[in-house]
Amino acid sequence: MSPFLATIRTSFRRQLTYRAANISGLLTNLMFAFFRASVLIALFNEREAVNGLTVQGAVTYAGLTQTLIGYLSFFHWFDMMQTVYDGQIGADLLRPLNFFTYWLGIDIGRAFGALLIRSLPLFLVFALFYNITLPGSFLQWLAFILSIFFALLISFSWRFMVNLAAFWTPNALGIGRFVFGMSWTFSGFFLPLALFPRWLAQFARLTPFGAGVYIPIEIFLGLITGKELLQGILIQVFWIILLLLLDQWILSRGVRKLVIQGG
Amino acid sequence: MIHALRLLARMYRVQIHSQLQYPLSFIMDLLSSALILGFFFVAFALTLTRFESIGGWTLGEVAFIWGITEFSFGTMDMVFSGFDYDSFGPIIRKGQFDQLLLRPANITLQVLGSRFVIRRLGRMAEGLLIFLFGLSRIQLDWSLLKILYVPLLSISQILFFGSLFIIGATTTFWTMERLEILNIFTYGGAEVMSYPMHIFPRPIRMIFTYLVPSIFLSYFPAVYLLGKPDPLNAPAFVSFLAPVIAMLMLWLALRFWRFGIRNYQSSGS
Amino acid sequence: MKSMIHVRDLHKTFRVYRNHKGYLGALRNLFDRKYDLTHAVDGISFDIHPGELVGYIGPNGAGKSTTIKILTGLLVPSAGEVIANGHIPWKERKRYVRDIGAVFGQRTTLWWDLPLTDSLDLLRHIYQIPEDLYQSNFGLFREILALDHFINTPVRALSLGQRMRADLCAAFLHNPSLVFLDEPTIGLDVIAKRRIREFIQYINQERHTTILLTTHDISDIARLCERVMIIDHGRILFNGKLADLLETFGGRRLLNVEFAEEYPSPTLDGADIIYRNGVNIHYSFQRRSVSASALIRRLSENYRIKDLSVEDQPIEDTIREIYENRLLYYDTDDE
Repeated sequence: MSPFLATIRTSFRRQLTYRAANISGLLTNLMFAFFRASVLIALFNEREAVNGLTVQGAVTYAGLTQTLIGYLSFFHWFDMMQTVYDGQIGADLLRPLNFFTYWLGIDIGRAFGALLIRSLPLFLVFALFYNITLPGSFLQWLAFILSIFFALLISFSWRFMVNLAAFWTPNALGIGRFVFGMSWTFSGFFLPLALFPRWLAQFARLTPFGAGVYIPIEIFLGLITGKELLQGILIQVFWIILLLLLDQWILSRGVRKLVIQGG
Repeated sequence: MIHALRLLARMYRVQIHSQLQYPLSFIMDLLSSALILGFFFVAFALTLTRFESIGGWTLGEVAFIWGITEFSFGTMDMVFSGFDYDSFGPIIRKGQFDQLLLRPANITLQVLGSRFVIRRLGRMAEGLLIFLFGLSRIQLDWSLLKILYVPLLSISQILFFGSLFIIGATTTFWTMERLEILNIFTYGGAEVMSYPMHIFPRPIRMIFTYLVPSIFLSYFPAVYLLGKPDPLNAPAFVSFLAPVIAMLMLWLALRFWRFGIRNYQSSGS
Repeated sequence: MKSMIHVRDLHKTFRVYRNHKGYLGALRNLFDRKYDLTHAVDGISFDIHPGELVGYIGPNGAGKSTTIKILTGLLVPSAGEVIANGHIPWKERKRYVRDIGAVFGQRTTLWWDLPLTDSLDLLRHIYQIPEDLYQSNFGLFREILALDHFINTPVRALSLGQRMRADLCAAFLHNPSLVFLDEPTIGLDVIAKRRIREFIQYINQERHTTILLTTHDISDIARLCERVMIIDHGRILFNGKLADLLETFGGRRLLNVEFAEEYPSPTLDGADIIYRNGVNIHYSFQRRSVSASALIRRLSENYRIKDLSVEDQPIEDTIREIYENRLLYYDTDDE
């Protein structure tokens, strides 16, 4: 088995052992899903649909976003910068594996573990309480699965890039908090972008978070189909490529700086 | 007593001093928390423009209660952050709690003084702005009682949230794991309290009435202050229970905390 | 003379819960908790008098730290009586703690992020130390412990030796009558150890501070303590003068010989060969059974010797033998 797959497997297993944390996280997400769903239902107030989004779609949105939080870990990830600050990175760089793919493997394992043990049960329980919209066709399911995998790649590359700041500044934690907070707000995770004023929704869609996180949701809810769906996937691919390239470039500069200065 | 408070003030001052050592970091953190949380409200406000009202409450009315809650939570988070899991957890894990027991000072005070996060000022400011925004959009029949009740409500909320933090910290004596579930009642509670609670389905309302009495610290007082009709048909006096419930919760939390310390001393961590 | 620390029949028993494994196990844990009992402290009694500097030693897991925790008020015993400095430690915490000091080698008593001087200043207010006393103590300790070099450094940035000196300063700043030192020299180099030992000795002699010293470093004990208590498996095995202990159980000496030529089997009546390398042989013998001079005479009668030396078995080895061979089976009460 390649080291990459081995890393994924180890990380996956490890994620499964965090029983208490997973259950707590699940319950927390579930409650927030209920809260958000309630707010949306109250907002809609007997209306059938707003801007193409039905009440049922909005409720599904509330459940789906909470489901994906644990999986994408979008708003909170400082692991890599910790290793820069505590010096662990020295040992990691000496190992005979690619630094970036190492962290990628860990994240994929973690994400799949979270998907299995947190996201899936969460969504199933949520579905017991509310009528939800499900993808209608096999193709739609396929597109969704592909799209959330891409979303993970975008999420990881973005988080990794933010963590790279640690090579240059001791304030990376504060920067990270700020950037992750911003990502949160523009990802459409709080209220559906369909309910936002047009200009705000457009802007959010241009960001990597909007593309990374919101497009899968739109696919799931059937808000984008056919040509638009394809466009969505392509936008995701675009972001993946861009962020990966940026990551590689910034990482190499960062490592060089570290090695030269002995940070 | 005076000495104890002076000590607490001194400990806070030391915290503030060390946090201000990195002014850039501090400003950024301050702005970021204010902006991010503020954006939540902005997003909601913009969305609400499509719908006129939520549960029969206008934007101004929601802003009124949202703002007070945010302000109180931010203040609490600044003062009680010694009890926050992120701060207290390491104290227990690293065995530093023993040090608190070895000093001739009140334990609760030492924990309070162990952390004072001034960047929470961001959340406090955000809350205040939202509250003022709400005020600007509503017509209230102001009476002296109402004017006095607003700050009283805020103080009650601060003590209420603080109690939850204390309870959360106490559980750390027994389980080293983070009880994220408590987040449902602190952060989740704050979110739920920012809306007119009658929009929530019955099970959620029951939780926030009988399990954690958040409803008495936001919805019912707001119904009185804003003069809104109450679809839940609760008797009028419940609007004034906020301070009572807050004091009760604080008392319970401190009892539990003291129990936790005694237990720590007999089981030797 | 009234005791500074009076301990009678002290017991502390812990429950060690057994954990079931797996998901189902986690559920079972909630309903069916099985546990084993550990007697960390199993009926100990002793008295320590004002001004004494007593060593408290024992193998790992013997019950040392449990005893210290009880004596400092951190832990409530299962049974027994403790009166320290006129207080019951865990009952009158704040009043008791005001007049004691403690240093724990494994962790600091100071605030992690604060510069040392800020930490000490905060302590001044917590202990309500009068200004003049604080200044004179601070000035004195600063000099003896050489703190100036890092007085403004945050505690988290200090080296182990520096942190230990800082903790020592903090522990004695308020002139406590009773001080507990738990592994104060652990992990330090010889120079640092000496400096700390000198400080401890100085305080004990000048201020008559009662000190209870827990340590794995036997040379600490040898240099500082007249009296030593040995604990193992929760029981006090020995409580008396270190010299007496060594007299009874020590007494092993080494005779290191360098012969002029290599002898095939240079046995020596009354001694055992414990090391052999060409012409160098080390013999071990009991002082009680035979004298060094007798052995040397016997050797020189039969062999040609180039050089030799006689030394006492290190105290560490004596203590280790006591632990390993369980040479002390009885409880001793105070004299």
